[in-house]
Amino acid sequence: MSEGILIVAEHLRGELCEITREVVSAGKQLKGKGRLTIALIARDPSAFVAAASLEGVDEIIEVPVNASEFNADIYIEALEAIVRERKPAAVLMGFTAYGMETGPTLAVRAGLGFASDVVSCSMEGGKVLARRRFHGGKVEAELEFRDDAVLLLRICHREFIDPPANELDISTADVIMAIGRGIGERENVQKVEALAERMGVTLAASRPLVDAGWVPKYRQVGQSGTTVKPKLYLALGISGAFQHVAGMKKSEVIVGVNEDPQAPIFNVAHYGAVADLFDVVDELEKLWG
Amino acid sequence: MDNTPTRTVFQGMAPWECMVFYGLSLVSVGLFIWGCYRLMRRYRTGRPRGAKLDIRRVLRGTGRTLRIVLTHAWIRRGSGAVGLAHAGVFYGFLALFAGTVILTIEEDIAVPLGWGFWHGRFYEWYSLLLDIAGAAMLAGLIYFGLRRARGLARLDYARVDNRPVSPARARYKFDDWVFLWALLYIGATGFLLGALRIAIDLPSFEVWSPIAYLFAMLLRAVGISGHVADMLRTVTWWFHGVVCLGFIASIPFTKALHIFTGPTAVAVRDENVSRKLPDEPQTGYAFLADFLPGHKLDLDACTKCGRCHEVCPARSSGMPLSPRDVVLDLREAQKQGFGGALVPEIVAPETLWSCMQCNACVAVCPVGIEQVPIINLLRRGLVEAGQPETSLQPVFQAVQTTGNSFGESRRKRARWTKELDFEVLDARKQPVDVLWFVGDYASMDQRNQRNTRALAQILTTAGVNFGILYESEQTAGNDVRRAAEEGLFRSLAAENIKTLAKCTFNRILTSDPHSYNTLRNEYPGLGANWSGDRVVHHSAFLLELMEGGRLIASNPLGRRATYHDPCALGRYNGIFEQPRELIRRCGVEIVEMPRNRSDSFCCGAGGGRIWMKEPVPVAFVKKEDAQIGSARPSVQRIDEAIGLGSLDYFIVACPKDVAMYDDAIKTSGHAEHIQLKEISELVSEAIGLASSR
Amino acid sequence: MKTIVCVKWTGALGDDVEFTDDQRGVDPDYLDFALNEWDACAIEEALRMRDAADGGEVIVVTVGGEDSEKALVRCLAMGADRAVRVASDDVTLVDPIRLGQLLAAAMQGEQADLVLCGAQSSDAAQGATGSAVAAFLGFPCVAVVTKVEYDGSVGKARVHRELGGGVVEVVDVRTPAVLTIQTGINEPRYVTLRAIQQASQAEIRVIDAETVPLRETGYQVRRMFVPPKAQAELIVGSSEAIAQRITKLIQEARA
Repeated sequence: MSEGILIVAEHLRGELCEITREVVSAGKQLKGKGRLTIALIARDPSAFVAAASLEGVDEIIEVPVNASEFNADIYIEALEAIVRERKPAAVLMGFTAYGMETGPTLAVRAGLGFASDVVSCSMEGGKVLARRRFHGGKVEAELEFRDDAVLLLRICHREFIDPPANELDISTADVIMAIGRGIGERENVQKVEALAERMGVTLAASRPLVDAGWVPKYRQVGQSGTTVKPKLYLALGISGAFQHVAGMKKSEVIVGVNEDPQAPIFNVAHYGAVADLFDVVDELEKLWG
Repeated sequence: MDNTPTRTVFQGMAPWECMVFYGLSLVSVGLFIWGCYRLMRRYRTGRPRGAKLDIRRVLRGTGRTLRIVLTHAWIRRGSGAVGLAHAGVFYGFLALFAGTVILTIEEDIAVPLGWGFWHGRFYEWYSLLLDIAGAAMLAGLIYFGLRRARGLARLDYARVDNRPVSPARARYKFDDWVFLWALLYIGATGFLLGALRIAIDLPSFEVWSPIAYLFAMLLRAVGISGHVADMLRTVTWWFHGVVCLGFIASIPFTKALHIFTGPTAVAVRDENVSRKLPDEPQTGYAFLADFLPGHKLDLDACTKCGRCHEVCPARSSGMPLSPRDVVLDLREAQKQGFGGALVPEIVAPETLWSCMQCNACVAVCPVGIEQVPIINLLRRGLVEAGQPETSLQPVFQAVQTTGNSFGESRRKRARWTKELDFEVLDARKQPVDVLWFVGDYASMDQRNQRNTRALAQILTTAGVNFGILYESEQTAGNDVRRAAEEGLFRSLAAENIKTLAKCTFNRILTSDPHSYNTLRNEYPGLGANWSGDRVVHHSAFLLELMEGGRLIASNPLGRRATYHDPCALGRYNGIFEQPRELIRRCGVEIVEMPRNRSDSFCCGAGGGRIWMKEPVPVAFVKKEDAQIGSARPSVQRIDEAIGLGSLDYFIVACPKDVAMYDDAIKTSGHAEHIQLKEISELVSEAIGLASSR
Repeated sequence: MKTIVCVKWTGALGDDVEFTDDQRGVDPDYLDFALNEWDACAIEEALRMRDAADGGEVIVVTVGGEDSEKALVRCLAMGADRAVRVASDDVTLVDPIRLGQLLAAAMQGEQADLVLCGAQSSDAAQGATGSAVAAFLGFPCVAVVTKVEYDGSVGKARVHRELGGGVVEVVDVRTPAVLTIQTGINEPRYVTLRAIQQASQAEIRVIDAETVPLRETGYQVRRMFVPPKAQAELIVGSSEAIAQRITKLIQEARA
C-alpha cells in the first residue's frame, strides 16, 4: 500500500530553488492523510534543511552524496533506493532541465508512471489524477494513473542563472516592452528599439527574433531565455505561445497588442488591444517623442 | 548604244572574273549553310517537346507569323519611329535581296533558255523600286546609327549585378556598330555602283534609278565619266560584291542571324506563353541540354534591343535581374557549348528569384522570346535540386500542411463568412449556378476579407445563386507554380479538381486574378471537368450583372480615380476594358496612368515574391543602378498615380494588389492624398449597399 | 556510423476544436498534420553527420497509425535510408514512457551509435520521450542539444545543450547515447512534393505494438476539454487611444 508524497528538492549553488516551493504546494494538495517528505540530495544536505522546512512538510530526508552540483546518475540511484523502500503514492519534481533528466529514467527504472508539465493534481479514491495541456495550451486533459506510485513534474519559471558578462540583465527591469514575430522585418526592430529608449523602458523579444539574429540573446524572454517579473510587460505582436508566456506570466501588469483577436496572449494579459502594432508604435512615438 | 532599258550583267568582266565571283558565292553560301546546320544541331540537342520540333504547329502559325512580321506589329510596340525605321531596313534589304535573286534567275536560268525578261518596262520598274528600297534601308540605318550615337541607356549593356563583364559582352557595342556599318556600306556602295555605271554615259532610261542618276550627274560634274567611271565601277563592284558575300556567310555567326531567328522565334512562340507554363520538363532546367528547342532558338533570336530590360519592374527597383541579361548570358553559354549546371555559374539564383513573372518582358519583346517560362523552368531546376529561395520553404511547407500560404488552419478558410448576416451556400453539398473560388488572400488576409464580404453581399443583392467550397478549397496554386514548386502545384491542382468534380455548377467565379489565370488556362489541361471559358473574373461578372439590370448603380460616386491593371488579369489574359467599364458605371472618372493596360507596372507580388519577405540585398546591385527608382515597385506605382494630379481613388481588382498597395500608400506617405479601393468595395458603394468612408 | 532518429507526425490545432465521441481526444478533422519541427531538425542533423562522415546509415522510426508513415516518407525523401513504424493508434494519448518502450523495442538489434529525438513534440510537448528511450536502451541521455560533434570513430560525442536562462553547457557523453535535439541547431533541408511522392513508394517495416508488453503503471486519459480561459480587459478605440492608455499604465506602474 503506497502512501505519502515524495518531493525531490532542487538546489543550485548552495540555494534551494524557488521551484521546490511550488512543488511542495502541489504536494500538499495530494497528500491527504499521508506524509509529505522532501528528499535533499547534496554533498551537505543539512545546509538546506532550514529552507526546506516549509509549511506542510512532514519529513526531511537527507541524502549525502559525492557531488557538489546536480548529477543525474546520482540522483536517480538515490531516488530509486528511496522509492523502493518508501513506496510513495507520488513523486514530485520541478519541470526543469534537471527534472527532465531524472524523471523519465527514474520512472522506467523504478517502474513508475510519468507525466510532465502538470498544471494541477489531486487524489481520488487513492488514485492520482493529474491535468496537463496539449496543443500549445488549447486543450487540457485529465490523466488517471492506474497504480500506486506516480511521478509528476510541474511547470516552472526558471530563475535566471548566469547573465553572461557585459550583457544587460533584463530581469531587473521595471517596465519591459517586448516584440514578437508581428514586427515583420529587421528594420522595424531598430525603430522600436529607438522608441523603447525614448520611453525609458527595456526592450525584450520572443525567441523567433533572437533565432533570426535581429535581437541579442540576453533580450530573449521565455522558457529557453530569461524569466522576468516586471511591474509592466507590454507585448507587441507576440502571439502568446506558452514557451514565451512561461517567461513573463508573473509580471504584475501585462498588456498585449496583437492584430489577431484569437491570439493566446489575451488569455494571460490583464489588458489587451486588438490593433496593428505599427499604428500603436506610431502613436506612442508621438506621445513620447 | 541600244536604248532598250536594261544593262549587262557582269558588264566589262572577263569570264575568269565571273568564275571567281561564282566561286566566292559558292564559298559564301557554303559557309552560310554550314553555319545554319550547326545551329540546327544545337537546337536539336535540347529536350524535344514531342519527337521533333513540331512542324505542324509552325505551319499553323505561319499566317499569324507573317502578319506579325510583315506589319512589324511587335517591333512597333512602344515606338512608332523605330517601327518605321526598321521597316525601312527590313523591306529595303528584302527588296534588294529579291533584286539580286531576280538578277540571278535572269542571268543563269532565263537568258540561257531564251526567256530573258530583265529589260524594258520591267527593268524600269525594277530600277525604281530598288532605288527606293535602297534609300529606305539607308534612311532606317542612319536613324538607328544616330539614335545609338546619341546614347540610349539600355543600349550600353551595363550589368545590373556584380558579375564580371565577359569578353563577348565587352564586344557587344562594337559588334553592333560593325553590323550597322556593314549594312550602311553595302547600301552606300550599291548606290555608288549605280551612280558610277550611269555616269559612264548617262543613258536616259536610267532616270528610273532617280537617286543613282542624281549622283551620276554629280560625278559627271566633277569629271568622272566614261572610262574613268567604268574603272571605278569595276573596283567598287568587287568591294561591294565581296562584302555582300561576306555578309551572307557571316549571318549564322553574327547579329545578322536575327534575320532568320527573329521570325522563327515569332513563329514558334507559345500562344499561351506564361498563361500556361510548360508542363514539361517537370524537373525544370538545370543544363542547356534540358532546354526546349524553342527556348534554345529564343536565345539566338535576341537582338539586344533592351526593351525587356527597360520595362522590368525588378530591374527598376534595384534587384539583380535583367531579362535581357538572362537571355544573353545563356546565349553566350550556349555558344561556348557550356555543359555544366547553369545556376549559379551562368545565372545567379538571386537573379532568378527576383522575377515577379509579370510578363512585361514577354509582352514587349519584338521577336517573341519567352523570358518568363525560361526563368520559371530554371527556378524549377533549383527547387528540384532542393534549393528553393529560403523564404519560400516555409510557405511551401505551409501550403503542403494546410492548403494555404498563410499556414492557418484549414478551418479558418471560410471564417470571413461569419460576419455576414446570411448563410453562404456550400457548393459541395448542393448544385449552384456560380461556384465562387475565393482564394487564399481574399479568404484570409484581413484587409481583403472586407472586400470579399462586400462581394458576397453584392452577389446576394443581385440574386446570384452562388456557393463556396468552405474548407475544401485549397490555394489554386498559380503562384506556387510561378515560384516553381511544380510537384506541389500538380498536387494542389489534382486535389482541387477532385473537389470540384463532385460539384455541380455552371461557372466558376473568382475575384483573384491569379486563381483566375490558373483555373482558366492550366487546370483544363490537367484534367478539370470545365473549359477555360467558364471561368470568370468578378470585374467582368459584376459588369455583366449591371448590364443585365440585376445591379443598379443608384448612387453614382462622382469621383476621379486611376485603375491599376493586375498583371494576371490584364497582360496575361487581355482583360482591360471590362473593369474600366464597370468603374465608369459606378460614376467614377478614370484617369489613366502612363503605364496602363498591357504596359501596366507590376505591384511586385507576383512570382512568389509576395512571400519573399527579405528583399534581395541591394549591396548585390551596383550602386548607380540602385539609385534609379530603387523604391519598391508598388511605391513607384503609387508615385506614378500621384503624378496624375488630384485623384480620389487608386482602384485595384486583385487581393494581392490590395495588400501591396495598402502598404505602399502608407510607406510612400500618400495616405492623405489617395485612397485604395478594390472593385467590390466600389460597386458596393455605388449600388448603395455601403457608405463611402 | 548508424544513427536512429525518432520522429512524430504531429497535429496543429487551429482555433476551433471538437473532441472525439469518447471525449478523450481531439477530432483529427480539426488538426493539420506535419512532421514535428524538432524532429525535422533531428533528422537533418543525422543526415548531415552521415554525409560528413562519408558513409553510415540513418534509420527513422515512429509510433502511430498508418497516417504517421507520412512522417517517415518525408524523412526518406530528405535522405534517410530506412524506416520503421510501430503500429499503434492513439499516439497523442500514449504516455511518453510507453512511447519510449515502443521506440526502444523497434531499435532492437540495430546496434545504433547514436539515437536522436526531437526535444519535444509540438502537440504534446512532454519532453520526456527521448529520456525514456534512453532508459529502456540503457544509454546515457543528453537533452535539449544545440550542437553535436561526433564522427563515429571515438566512443564519445561532444554536445552543447541548453540550460535555462540562455546558459549553454558543453558535455562529453559516451556513445551509444540518446540526444534530444533543440530547434535552431540547423535549417532542415527542403524536399519537393515530387521527392516525397517518389519516397512514398519505399517499403516501411511495420512492428505490432501488441508484441511489446504493456507496463501497468502508465496513465490513461480520462477526458479532454477546453480549459476556461482568462480574458484580458480590452482597450478599445483608435491607436491613439490605445497608446494613451498604455502610457498611463506605464506611468502607474512606475509610480
